Amino acid sequence: MTDQQPDSTHFGFKTVKQTEKVSLVANVFHSVAAKYDLMNDVMSLGIHRLWKRFTIDCSGVRPGHQVLDLAGGTGDITALFSKRVGPTGKVILADINESMLNVGRDKLRDLGLVNNIDYVQANAEALPFADNSFDIISIGFGLRNVTDKDAALRSMYRVLKPGGRLLVLEFSKPEYEWLSKVYDLYSFKLLPTIGGLVANDKESYQYLAESIRMHPDQDTLKQMMETAGFEHVSYHNLTGGIVALHKGYKF
Amino acid sequence: MLSLVPQLICATLEKVLHKVVAMDPASPLLLQKVQGKQLALQLQELPWRFVLSATADTLLLNQHNEKVDCVIATDLATLQKLNDPSQLTRLIKQDKLQIEGDLQVAQQFSTLLQHLNPDWEQQLSGWLGDALAHKVATAIKQLHLYIQAQLQQLEQATVELAQDELALSPTQAEMNQFSREVSQLHARLEQLSRHKAFRQE
Repeated sequence: MTDQQPDSTHFGFKTVKQTEKVSLVANVFHSVAAKYDLMNDVMSLGIHRLWKRFTIDCSGVRPGHQVLDLAGGTGDITALFSKRVGPTGKVILADINESMLNVGRDKLRDLGLVNNIDYVQANAEALPFADNSFDIISIGFGLRNVTDKDAALRSMYRVLKPGGRLLVLEFSKPEYEWLSKVYDLYSFKLLPTIGGLVANDKESYQYLAESIRMHPDQDTLKQMMETAGFEHVSYHNLTGGIVALHKGYKF
Repeated sequence: MLSLVPQLICATLEKVLHKVVAMDPASPLLLQKVQGKQLALQLQELPWRFVLSATADTLLLNQHNEKVDCVIATDLATLQKLNDPSQLTRLIKQDKLQIEGDLQVAQQFSTLLQHLNPDWEQQLSGWLGDALAHKVATAIKQLHLYIQAQLQQLEQATVELAQDELALSPTQAEMNQFSREVSQLHARLEQLSRHKAFRQE
């Protein structure tokens, strides 16, 4: 898309070599892991909890389901799924970043959620699971950081059971011009400052704001999911399109 | 923004339900019967369908239109009448209540909610100490009884005022007599009209 050379990709507004992006993103998340939950609440005024609940409501989760929470980070979506699949189901929390996975594991254990959750450190582009393994795959605020998004979507399609669904919760493009302006002001001026104050890490939150702008918009992502093989792909804009939930089925 | 309202309602109610369930020492036993079951509630007054699901230790609330074990569609006024099981068939016949799916699931959830008896006093004692907590609980119970008695008295007084003092509405005896007279009049009319018909022939 915006890439000029075949072996380069974007890291925020910077263009970097594809091989470097993984370690650059990893550094960002090693750096923010400890304060990740607190920053989420501060940045979104707690609304991220409702976005995640909306994702669960669209998932059709039932007791006994096998669920993969990709880029699960600190485990918010896993916690919601874990209660709903019950003792007969299973949730796998997968993240490429070890620091985030550790924070997530500690948090879920503190919540008493231990019986039906497995933790796997995995790259979304090459998922280490058998074909047709999951009823539901969710990826919340993670696809943006994946280097090769098409490969990741194909990999998710492969491990999803026929009849299963993929849910992609991700920052997207605001629906209104005025909201877009307010949002730009907020995320480029205010957000890095808050990040500097709360998490003592201005650069990581600068990257966050930039990476959101580089992420494909609603219709482009829908197209990408269809190209990867998903059917009946649809999306819901949440909070004026600041976030969008894409849903696709494998038949 | 408005699209997330049902999620906000669910998140809030789920927290309250969790607290209430945790306060009742008998809840694990009650939850065992409905564990893993889902009951959907569609109220006419609300545009969303809420789904209640039970786990081993709590109740969860969601908003979706996916397949569930049982769906109850009704309105708020009828929902309050559901406490009385003898009304069920009448409400279904009147089309005020529709139940789809496993009726047993609906009954199990209803039993659970009716038998949920949170031990408020025990919770309160953690804050106030046993003695004061007991006093507060007793005071609240007495207040409840007092209000009920007062309400009953007020109702009685209003009835007496309307019937005896201001003579606005009839007493039971007057009402009975009036309806008896109406029936008699009706019978007399019937008799007369038959008589007339007979004459005309």
